[in-house]
Amino acid sequence: MNPTGVLSSAGREPSDAEIVARVLAGDAEAFGLIIRRYEAGLLRYATRLLGSADAAADAVAEGLVRAYRHLASCRDTGRLKSWLYRIIGNRCRSHLARRSASDMSLDDIPPLADPGDTEAATERADQLASVERALNTLSAEKREAFLLKHVEGLSYEEMAAATGERIPTLKMRVHRARAALLEALKEAP
Amino acid sequence: MTRIDPLVHRVLDGELPSEVLTPAQRAELDRLERAGTLLADGPLTSVADRVMAEVRRPAPGVAQRLARWFAERHTITISVRPAWSLALAAVLAAIAIMPGRGPGLILSAEEGIAQFVGRFPGAKSVEVVGSFTDWRPGAVVLRDDDHDGVWRGVVVLPVGQHEYMFVVDGERWVTDPLAGRFVDDGFGRQNALLIVRPVPR
Repeated sequence: MNPTGVLSSAGREPSDAEIVARVLAGDAEAFGLIIRRYEAGLLRYATRLLGSADAAADAVAEGLVRAYRHLASCRDTGRLKSWLYRIIGNRCRSHLARRSASDMSLDDIPPLADPGDTEAATERADQLASVERALNTLSAEKREAFLLKHVEGLSYEEMAAATGERIPTLKMRVHRARAALLEALKEAP
Repeated sequence: MTRIDPLVHRVLDGELPSEVLTPAQRAELDRLERAGTLLADGPLTSVADRVMAEVRRPAPGVAQRLARWFAERHTITISVRPAWSLALAAVLAAIAIMPGRGPGLILSAEEGIAQFVGRFPGAKSVEVVGSFTDWRPGAVVLRDDDHDGVWRGVVVLPVGQHEYMFVVDGERWVTDPLAGRFVDDGFGRQNALLIVRPVPR
């Protein structure tokens, strides 16, 4: 018996397409599986884009509710991950558009990791702060490209589906983002 | 600007093993991979309960939706063929400048008429979101009644400057290429800019 519905009848994790089919058939609770599968990455992505954990939580919550309501319009359920990143990216853009530049300070991003008390953890938190400062010197496009590629681990094909950009454009953007980030890291204290 | 050897990019893209790199190139690779690993930490919060509460909430009934609709402010969208749009604008302007002629659409000095036209062959839906909808969808829905791929809508908006974008099929944000004026959206893309002028009186 599988009261949580986490595993499929074959005893394996259900695919995205299987979960979507269950939700569309009326099993709203199955949407929780989609949230559990992608929430962490989406929150991390939105936080890095918006520079605010609270705004990111709003964007991701709104985006996921929107995804649930429009799930039937996800034509290729095998690309659900890209579709979700696209929705959240759009929500982040809406948040950025509504927010005046004076409200926004990407330098104020709180570290996502809890540094704890150990020396190693403190050093890691310092390194993270340094990387965040370097990341925030990048243009929004380069920041988005680096995050999708090297933090969220999307393939170029998935990135193209998530952003609507062409793969050569994204490759060029990622390459430039790497160079800019490395430059900023060299200048970091 | 730091120049990264193409070999490093190819290794990072998974096309080559890291053994092909020199020690200096390997150091660059490690630094970039370390940055990605550090940025992948977290998160500390979850929105699952919040989202599932919304998912479980029963859809509002017709009466509730009507009550909500009447309680909220709305932008009224009128869809017309291009040939009629100027005539409609003239009629609306005429109504606006003829006080005391009974009920009708009366434009104040602070309101003007805006027409949105976009060509999106194959689209299932097109809407306009912008500063005048607080960037929320659902208020300005365009129509393509003759199925020629050209979507249109006319709205009454406050006089002044507005930013907007088309949203195609509910997800794809498209800048209006015919807008003429654009502003950076803070995300590396551009919003179209619309200036609404008052109807001449």
